[in-house]
Amino acid sequence: MTTQRYERLYEKIDASLKDRSASDALLRCMKRGRDTRAAALETLPGGTAFRNDVRKAKERCIEDLPRLKKQFIENVEKRGAKVFEAKTPADVIKYCIDLAKERGATHLAKSKSLTTEEIELNRPLMDAGIDVVETDLGELIIQLVNEKPFHLVFPSVHKMAPEVAKIFEKATGKPVEGNIPSIMKVVRKYLRPIFLNAEIGMTGANIGIAETGAICIETNEGNARNVSSIGKCHICVMGMEKIVETIEDAMLMILAHPVSASGQLPTTYVTWMHGRNPLGEGDGKNARESHIIILDNGRTEMRDDPDYRESLYCIRCGACMNVCPTSGIVGGHTFGHIYPGPMGICWTAAVHGLETAGNFAPLCISCGLCKEICPAIIDMPHMIAEIKHRDAKKHGYPLPNKVMMGADKAARLGSVTAAVANFSLNTRAIRKLMDKTIGLSADRNVPPFTYPTFMQRFKDHRLKVVAPQRKVAFFVDVYANYNDPDLGMAAVRQLEALDCEVVLPPQDASGYPFIAYGDLDRARKTAAGNVAKLFPYANQGYDIVSIEPTATYSLAESYPHLLKNNNASRRVADHTHELFEYLNKLEEDTGNAPMSRSLKGRKFGFHIPCHQRALGSGHGAIEWLRRRGAEVEVIETGTCCGMGGTFGLKAGLLGHKLSMAVGDALFDLFKAAEIDAIVTESSVCKIQLAEGTGLEVFHPLQLL
Amino acid sequence: MNAEIKFDFAECFEKLSGVAHAVPSEKAAVDEIISIITSKEAKCVALANLPKKLVTAIEKRCDGIKVLKEPYAAETLPAAIDEADVGITGIAFAIAQSGTLVETTTNDAVRLVSALTPTYIGVLRKADIVNRFEDGSARIREIVKEHDENLVISFISGPSRTGDIELKLTLGVHGPGEAHAVIIGK
Repeated sequence: MTTQRYERLYEKIDASLKDRSASDALLRCMKRGRDTRAAALETLPGGTAFRNDVRKAKERCIEDLPRLKKQFIENVEKRGAKVFEAKTPADVIKYCIDLAKERGATHLAKSKSLTTEEIELNRPLMDAGIDVVETDLGELIIQLVNEKPFHLVFPSVHKMAPEVAKIFEKATGKPVEGNIPSIMKVVRKYLRPIFLNAEIGMTGANIGIAETGAICIETNEGNARNVSSIGKCHICVMGMEKIVETIEDAMLMILAHPVSASGQLPTTYVTWMHGRNPLGEGDGKNARESHIIILDNGRTEMRDDPDYRESLYCIRCGACMNVCPTSGIVGGHTFGHIYPGPMGICWTAAVHGLETAGNFAPLCISCGLCKEICPAIIDMPHMIAEIKHRDAKKHGYPLPNKVMMGADKAARLGSVTAAVANFSLNTRAIRKLMDKTIGLSADRNVPPFTYPTFMQRFKDHRLKVVAPQRKVAFFVDVYANYNDPDLGMAAVRQLEALDCEVVLPPQDASGYPFIAYGDLDRARKTAAGNVAKLFPYANQGYDIVSIEPTATYSLAESYPHLLKNNNASRRVADHTHELFEYLNKLEEDTGNAPMSRSLKGRKFGFHIPCHQRALGSGHGAIEWLRRRGAEVEVIETGTCCGMGGTFGLKAGLLGHKLSMAVGDALFDLFKAAEIDAIVTESSVCKIQLAEGTGLEVFHPLQLL
Repeated sequence: MNAEIKFDFAECFEKLSGVAHAVPSEKAAVDEIISIITSKEAKCVALANLPKKLVTAIEKRCDGIKVLKEPYAAETLPAAIDEADVGITGIAFAIAQSGTLVETTTNDAVRLVSALTPTYIGVLRKADIVNRFEDGSARIREIVKEHDENLVISFISGPSRTGDIELKLTLGVHGPGEAHAVIIGK
């Protein structure tokens, strides 16, 4: 049943992988978004500090929303504009059609508004005889071809100039040259009478200010200025979550939005409308009105639902789309319903239904990069996990996901039966069968299982530290335990050499796949179990040192979230360290510098696993290698290698194939770099990079 | 935030493809404005939000060029202003960090002058430039306090731009393709 459900999704992914022209354009767009953002942050005093400010402001304003909305409405009305609170899309549609009829208006010019797209406002207005024209260039292009936005900020990024020229040839009935300057002239000429003759100008609002009753509209093209100043009647459709408290809050959002979207501060034009101005002097001066429609459409329920509430912090910058690895390959038509991208999953679930969100939510590989770039630090990875969880309650989990969520148990079995298991994994026919039956990709080189496991070997390991300076509780996770116990032992020896007493507390695998595939019951159970097992150690002054980035991320980031920031989870998180960051610190504290520069003359390309970006971005390992004489260069596209934990181990389009397509750009960078080998701390990224580049890939400890 | 950084308005405005003209006096400002009008071979110029003295001085120098100015008759709008090749408005204050001109008005004719014309010139006093973006908040609060009813504040940071086709930056799609800031003051 679940396979049938995703058939359409598979078709769309397949089409994206076969014709890469749209995704190539999209990837360029995303990269530029990331690069310009990074460049803007270089010049912004405080760098990324504004994210904490935005977060705090949004938390405060959403918490206080009922009061602020009331204040906003009072102030808007004081300034002479009308307010309509719309509960549903139908309410907005009716209000607009009635208003147009009363005014005898048939021409409506629109500037970009995602909220009107959310409620699909254009079609019913047009059916009611109102000529609705989008005036943002990107929106106009997709309106003319009857599509939905491919990207939140650049809706028509998949259309190249010659195709756009053809679209305007059809619209104007005249030949249009296929170059951008010619198209721009045509567009200016085409839209000018539409601006001048519109009886109604419709805008969205990026912000509503409770303190003053103003709405703020941001554009680069300036179309919102024309739309909001010319028509006798102005209608603004805004989501209620756009209301902030003060002018200072508004200024913060006006900066945060374009910095995150396109590295601008601010957009070229920001229009702060307080009521409606007259236009000119004399007769007709006062026959102008402004209607502000404040839309609920599920937002009240979102605010009341602790798992959805953070969606309301979204300022619609699209930064999460610029970093989402799978969205970059398949685009917003596949990774989205109306709202595209990672945040699109959350908004779709809330306003267009869980079922619709569930249709494309499996595209999220839970890399967590969206949260790392979000100006409001919205915890999208966990919100999406919650959506997958709710969806699975109705539909169950697809078999390959169940298999991946059981990887820990399979590894335990694989280790005990290493000889048989490894024979199976190396036998093509068996792998093909596994590919077809349980969805483990036959094309993946899965690392062999080892017996005894790290945990068994550690039992026989005798402490050699005479006067321990620190106490370490070691967290091993799946790979170093079942596949590479040597690696685990090497880590222990490094710690011991720096005077640590190392113990191995009882522990389960981190269980991150439960989050990735949305089994939050088991994720919480695992989190609670591990926290209960580690908490006594944290309390007794042990530092928890973890060797696998995703496990560290689970302990430090995911568990506190899953356990609602309870005391034990916070304490465990606060005591958790990445291995190399910890080793470096020990070397500094003990004055125990590395004995030799054994890696001198070697050059490595370093890969940062996504989950490590929330931690130290690999600085610990890089520093550790450099101290040993290695030359290390971080090689990155700014997004994921494509593996996405266990996602890339799965067979087919929603696994291996999409995973490799995501990785392509990074593989090319590594292949072009003059390096001896690749280094990464992640056991799964290692599999991906080895396959994608054909280069050797090492864990830092393997280099000694 | 580091309060020590001193931003240069002209530099920031020009990074956004704007053109900044620093002039010592109103007289020099008129010279600069006329030189822009002449270089654009403008046939019609629209003025708004400017001190009377400046309007008179510009008008005097616009020989053979149609000059539109306030009050704009409601029934002629928006068509009348759409005719203008150059639009000039007075600016309440500017923000150096972001290269932003802040235009405030209680009449949308002013907005049309800075929005519809192919070439736009904003005129401001050097003393009215605030340094950091967040410094704008206090100025906005003062302006808003003076107006109980309708008011529009417009941030203008360079010419109208789009990247909607192939992400290639293109200027002047709807609004002015050229934006000038004439900054008066020593």
